[in-house]
Amino acid sequence: MLLGPHAPALWGFRPTVVADPETVSLVADLGVVLLLFFVGLELSLDALVEKGDRVLAGGAIDVGVSLPLGFAVGVLLGFDWVASLVLAGVLFNSSTVIVAKLLLELDWIANPESEAILAVVVVEDVATAGYLAVLSAVLLGATDLGALATDVAVVVALVAAGTVVALRGTNLVERLLDVESGELFVLLALGVAATVAGLGEHSGVSAAVAAFLVGTAVGRTSLTDRVEGLLAPSRDLFAALFFLSVGLATDPALVTREAWAVAVAVAVTIPGQYVSGYYAGRQFDLEPSRAFRVGSALAPRGEFALVIAALAASVGTTPVLTERVPAFTVGYVLATSVLGTFAMRYSDQLWALLPVADPQ
Amino acid sequence: MPVRETDLPNVGRKFELDLADGGQLSVVIGHDGTRTLYRLPERGGDAERVAELTGEEARQFGAILGGAYFQPAESETADVPVGDGRIEWFDVPADSPLAGSSVADSALRTETGATLLAIQRGSDTIANPDPGEVIEPGDVLVTLGTQEEQRGLGALVNKDSDV
Repeated sequence: MLLGPHAPALWGFRPTVVADPETVSLVADLGVVLLLFFVGLELSLDALVEKGDRVLAGGAIDVGVSLPLGFAVGVLLGFDWVASLVLAGVLFNSSTVIVAKLLLELDWIANPESEAILAVVVVEDVATAGYLAVLSAVLLGATDLGALATDVAVVVALVAAGTVVALRGTNLVERLLDVESGELFVLLALGVAATVAGLGEHSGVSAAVAAFLVGTAVGRTSLTDRVEGLLAPSRDLFAALFFLSVGLATDPALVTREAWAVAVAVAVTIPGQYVSGYYAGRQFDLEPSRAFRVGSALAPRGEFALVIAALAASVGTTPVLTERVPAFTVGYVLATSVLGTFAMRYSDQLWALLPVADPQ
Repeated sequence: MPVRETDLPNVGRKFELDLADGGQLSVVIGHDGTRTLYRLPERGGDAERVAELTGEEARQFGAILGGAYFQPAESETADVPVGDGRIEWFDVPADSPLAGSSVADSALRTETGATLLAIQRGSDTIANPDPGEVIEPGDVLVTLGTQEEQRGLGALVNKDSDV
């Protein structure tokens, strides 16, 4: 934010390093593809089968509470229904990257609640992939409900076809990617993901959804560990560049103007997240204080909120979508990631303060 | 000794091992290859980080834990095969019926068929002990015999004195 074209002028000097955010946005698009590719990769279908009912129940509670709540916040803030739909996406998805890092940092990772937290995050991310497909159909000019229904139906059909290929094509994918050299492997995997994403974009499915399907296909091969080990650094780099490009394109003045909206959204969604996180955690047979931790850990928002805001900004037609929503999102992500870190660190103290908590 | 393996999406894999003392040991292997070792002191407690190892360090340390670097001699279980027979080591507990009797009186050979090669007493080793040598509590009997004979000897050494 401080180095972009909207950098605040200090004593007549603007520390603008990157004047054209467009150059960064290409890298950012690749980052989005990689993010979704990893969501697909991490979606272990075997693990889903193993304890699918708990994961699905926990995830459904979380998504079922957070997504409508986000939409309601949009309406509460006086946005129209398209902007509210965008806001729902921004407000509901907990940041996988931030949550995973915090779990490791706070040594929660070996505790039972971490399994629940990470499972819920995966369900959220998969829901986001579907949400992105619908959202891009809505934003790309579906004006009446009939056209929207057709668009969504096309997307759903393409995704279903893609899923079949992803599930059945395991051998093909494995043979395609099975090369010795590490560098070649990274290039090949990235190339396949980007190509399919491009094809997806061209045929009307969002690039993100296509990348998600490629990830699912690769995740079913025996190469998963190798892909994760070699590609995780690339993903983190692209994600960082994506954060940077969003920062560059953001005018700090607009963010401060959205401060009250951010405050309202935080005041509604964070308690909502505690409630949905708690009940999601209880689905995993966690004791109450650990289920409460699930709610704390799910607080930070991050990459997908920004992805959705960027999508709204790039194809949106109203000033609400192109200016207010992105600025709001940057403020909201900043607020929740800072709050979330504190929420996790002081989760046990906070739980002890609650009247419902058993003093034991 | 069941090891539980759990997938941690976006982080890696977790392996949990229940320990005999009631605690639990967990290893989280990250996608970047880092192995982080955690210990849960008791059930329901929080995991404490013990150590963070790189892949190379973990393999080195794993070899040590697996005994590839150093084979500890545990007297109860150590045995060395010699043809059909094997050499075993038996601790003589204080309440052993053999404690206090001489080698001849103990009738080890006639009772079990195993041969007494030596008695380890503290840092001394009494090789090929005289029939008059008295077996003391805390001695370690080094014996040669088939697996069956050794099992009989183990029962004799550890038999309750009142039987």
